[in-house]
Amino acid sequence: MTATPASRRGGHLPRRLSAAFWFAVPFVALAVIWAIAVELSGVERRIFPQVTDVASAFAEMWRSGDLFTHTGASLRRMGLGVIAALLTGIPFGVLLGSSRVAAAFFAPLLRFSVALAGIAWIPFATLWLGYGERAVVFIVWNAMFFALAYNTMLGVQRIPTQLIRAARSMGTPRHRMFVEVLLPGALPNIVTGLRVGLGYGWRGLVAAEIIAASAGLGYSIFLAQKYFRTDIIIAGMIIIGALWLVIDRALLAPLERRTVERWGMKAVNL
Amino acid sequence: MTNITPSTSGAGQPHPKPGPPKARFRPWLVRMGENRVVRTFGPFVPVILLWWIIAELEVFPSAFFVGPGTVFEKFDELIAKGILPAYLGDSLERLFYGVLFGMLIGVPAGFIVAMSAWARKLTWPLLMFFQAIADIAWLPIVIVWFGFSLTAVTFVIVYTIVFPLMISIVSGVEQVPRDVVRAARSLGAGRLQVFTEVILPGALPAVATGIRTGLGYGWRALIAAEIIVGTSGVGFLMFDSRRAQEVTGVFVGMIVLGVLWFALDALVLAPFERRTIERWGMIRTAEAGR
Amino acid sequence: MRTLEISNLHKEFVDAYTGQTVVAVGDVSFSIEQGEFVSVLGPSGCGKTTVLNIVAGFDTQTSGSVLVGGKQVDGPSPERGVVFQSFALFPWKTVLGNVTFGLRMRGVPRADREAVAHQYLELVGLQGFEAKYPHELSGGMQQRLGVARVLANEPEVMLMDEPFASVDAQTRRKLQEELTGIFETKRPTVFFVTHDVDEAVFLADRVVVLSSRPSQVAEIVTVPLERPRHWRSALDNPDFRHTVTYLTDLLAAGEPNADESEDAPETSAAAGAVGEG
Ligand SMILES: Nc1ncnc2c1ncn2[C@@H]1O[C@H](COP(=O)(O)OP(=O)(O)O)[C@@H](O)[C@H]1O
Ligand SMILES: [Mg+2]
Repeated sequence: MTATPASRRGGHLPRRLSAAFWFAVPFVALAVIWAIAVELSGVERRIFPQVTDVASAFAEMWRSGDLFTHTGASLRRMGLGVIAALLTGIPFGVLLGSSRVAAAFFAPLLRFSVALAGIAWIPFATLWLGYGERAVVFIVWNAMFFALAYNTMLGVQRIPTQLIRAARSMGTPRHRMFVEVLLPGALPNIVTGLRVGLGYGWRGLVAAEIIAASAGLGYSIFLAQKYFRTDIIIAGMIIIGALWLVIDRALLAPLERRTVERWGMKAVNL
Repeated sequence: MTNITPSTSGAGQPHPKPGPPKARFRPWLVRMGENRVVRTFGPFVPVILLWWIIAELEVFPSAFFVGPGTVFEKFDELIAKGILPAYLGDSLERLFYGVLFGMLIGVPAGFIVAMSAWARKLTWPLLMFFQAIADIAWLPIVIVWFGFSLTAVTFVIVYTIVFPLMISIVSGVEQVPRDVVRAARSLGAGRLQVFTEVILPGALPAVATGIRTGLGYGWRALIAAEIIVGTSGVGFLMFDSRRAQEVTGVFVGMIVLGVLWFALDALVLAPFERRTIERWGMIRTAEAGR
Repeated sequence: MRTLEISNLHKEFVDAYTGQTVVAVGDVSFSIEQGEFVSVLGPSGCGKTTVLNIVAGFDTQTSGSVLVGGKQVDGPSPERGVVFQSFALFPWKTVLGNVTFGLRMRGVPRADREAVAHQYLELVGLQGFEAKYPHELSGGMQQRLGVARVLANEPEVMLMDEPFASVDAQTRRKLQEELTGIFETKRPTVFFVTHDVDEAVFLADRVVVLSSRPSQVAEIVTVPLERPRHWRSALDNPDFRHTVTYLTDLLAAGEPNADESEDAPETSAAAGAVGEG
């Protein structure tokens, strides 16, 4: 294998430092403005906590272990839901995309379902599966499934006919088309679907935890609201945001870099 | 030049390959398939039929699953009592205010960030971060600040719309070809004219995309907020029914939400996208692909 | 031995919107011998791609027959490899992955298929690029890969549909010369579709000229050029120039909308006859 150029992976140290600096500056500025604003406005700190309050709430959650319990519970549910959605949504989408009739039939149904996916199913989920773990995982799966299936279907439909013909004329058996052509060919759209779906799934997770769980980040901030602990609420919100950025940077971005970008396949916007 | 022979001139040519019965059904099916209404709503007919059959066969207990008939009666009842129209009105009002303020803030803010390198450098990480805090996670703190009120729900919807809109606009402005900007410059356009004549129309499709993405999230936020804040609205109707173990109300709510989204899509989103995206020739690949 | 035999090929399309029938291929018959290079030449829209697609098995004829190696064509198969105008390389596979694709589909063991692949990559001058992805190659290199990918399967006939139409003029000349070189060393059977007269003559042993729609074989012209061929000498060769002029006239006569047809009575009459037939 050819060595990856330094700028691609490791990067030059000064450049990386500068990037980190410019990433941090806005956050530091925001924290300073926040601190000054709370100080000068004289707002009640129970309503709008000071930066330091949030920091100590965070430390408290760390020490008591609540932070890890809740984060762990949320990530576990998210993981289960995402895996279930990948295993079901992508094959279903490929199946629909490879038949024009099936695609024409299911397209409006899927668009309808995408619009409703996730949060709107919480009443059903809790009614059918009871309050708790299963309902939350169901919501994450449901939020992602339709977006993933719909985009996969679009992706398969957009594979150039010539590519499918090329594969067939080189003797690709029908059952191998899925792995050899349809899946990689649809990947740009699958990634789009994954992005959209994960966004819905993450929101669905938080909402479902608020309503239907007894652990997890969504639950913890809602519980804090009942006790008027705004410091804990804001600490929880920051954790939710940071986790999402980690999911995006650690999972989605590398996936995109290694596949769609590496192969020079530009994603088609919806 | 086009040498289209009217009807089948090749009557003497046998047709050995394609199956004849399929050929006879084809024109009828094709004509049906071309009708937009049929194409959009046709698939729902078998689905409703399937729903009805499953309910009739009592595959699931009726506490969990009811048929179209029961749902329709409930629908009728809720309209007669005035509950559904009132709740629907409340939901739409919240969505309207949310989208209105979301656009009033998001569009100018998006263009400012897109046009100024400094604004971009300073706000981009924050934009990413605030977009990452799932809007629904704002509900608890918003409830502390504004109580269980219209303001609380609207705040969350505005929040969901502003960030996708801004991010879309920035990428839309980036995608305006540099040569087009240069062409306008060399034809004598000033900075302001480049903005109004080239960048603004060029980024319009991105605005449309941003609104669609934002509404997708805003819509979910509305439902979640109505469930959690719980005073009125379609989301509340659903959760209230669920609390009373009345599955019929949940079905009614789901259908209302679905129909509402279809109407929103057909009456507001799609026409706006047609005017912007298709007019500027950015889309169309979907049809041409196959 | 006849590798490809096309007899009385006829193809009609039903236009999806108007419902009208379009005759894409009127009545086409010709054959290709083993190890022969045949160019199919005709004005654009005359149905060349349609004929090729039928031979490839992507489309089915309305009537007539296509035999390859004595067998009726039934669907795509690796014995009829296709080089596409759009290259149709798999963007998610490396150069090596693209060349070994067909062999892998046939279950050839890894070591064997890599040996074969290297041999063909060397043939087209792509050694050293094995680990690159198609989008990292120039247009000319991409189409070299397209050719290697097909030849690695050792098909009975290689089908090429205007393979050099989307590369720049200079590269096209080079690719044409390389293709004759490959043909002269490997002697595959080639069915080459083009609307470029120079290209058709330079490459082929025989040129099949199709009339405009509904297409028929207007004439089959044997190219009186020695091999090996090079552009430098071909351009100075009177036989080459005569053949090109002859074919150019033939195409101009068959074109109903040729610019001169207004003031040249005999050509417009000929065009009318073709249009009706
Ligand atoms: N799938 C199709 N449906 C309808 N008409 C077609 C189809 N494919 C080709 N045609 C028509 O058949 C004619 C011949 O096309 P083609 O074989 O692509 O010509 P060429 O390759 O010689 O330029 C054209 O007029 C084209 O419009
Ligand atoms: Mg063609």
